Amino acid sequence: MIPTHYFLILSAILFTIGVVGVLTRKNGITIFMSIELMVNAVNLTFLAYARQFHQVHGLIFVFFIMAIAAAEAAVGLAIFITLFHHRDTIDVDEANLMHW
Amino acid sequence: MEFAIFFFFAAVAVIFALVVVLHRNPVVGALSLVASFFALAVMYVLLEAPFLAALQVIVYAGAIMVLFLFVIMLLNLQHVAEPVTRPVQQFLGYTSGAAFGLGLLYYIVKYAVFAKLPAGPFVTDARTIGIKLFEAYVFPFEMVSILLLAAIVGALLLSGRQYQKREAAP
Repeated sequence: MIPTHYFLILSAILFTIGVVGVLTRKNGITIFMSIELMVNAVNLTFLAYARQFHQVHGLIFVFFIMAIAAAEAAVGLAIFITLFHHRDTIDVDEANLMHW
Repeated sequence: MEFAIFFFFAAVAVIFALVVVLHRNPVVGALSLVASFFALAVMYVLLEAPFLAALQVIVYAGAIMVLFLFVIMLLNLQHVAEPVTRPVQQFLGYTSGAAFGLGLLYYIVKYAVFAKLPAGPFVTDARTIGIKLFEAYVFPFEMVSILLLAAIVGALLLSGRQYQKREAAP
């Protein structure tokens, strides 16, 4: 049996990598992939706690998170396709229409 | 043996996650993310949730990442060089990310001290999850189906109209 905090530490490391990716990259698709990485880190935390407390609720939360991540990916990628057709780039610094 | 599997796949997940963040080619990033998700599916099996591991492989590595790869290839991004991030942004990003990660690790090590795992098997097969899903979680389940429908309509509306405009313009 692997202790729960091993999984929590792995999840924290993956989440931090995702945060660094969102903060330092300019490519919109890469930023999006970093967000997916953070979502997966949170899923791992949910499952670790579900096993720690023997609760099925954590698994069902992960199920819902996966469904919502699919919806988010579909809409977000559609937005990036639209942005690419307007600006010919997916550099997020170029998406400054609402910039002051 | 279990620990060996855990540490090997944890290393795989972290290394491929680093490749996603550091590599400049988005195709390489997407494929590394698929590898990282497979390693996480192994973690789910270790956490006694094989049903969720199957969902992770089918939904995440199968469906969502294929969507990412299709968009990258549709936009022909594998040849577009990403402009270099400003040094200020890089410095702030790395330092604040590292500070955030260290804070997270500090609080996990300090406070996440658990009692032993409860005795007895943790039943997480598809039958148990299904019964729970359709008894206690029927309303959120229906809400998620409506949300997915809204996402389909939104994605079609956002990405479909541009082609018509382009063809009509010249």
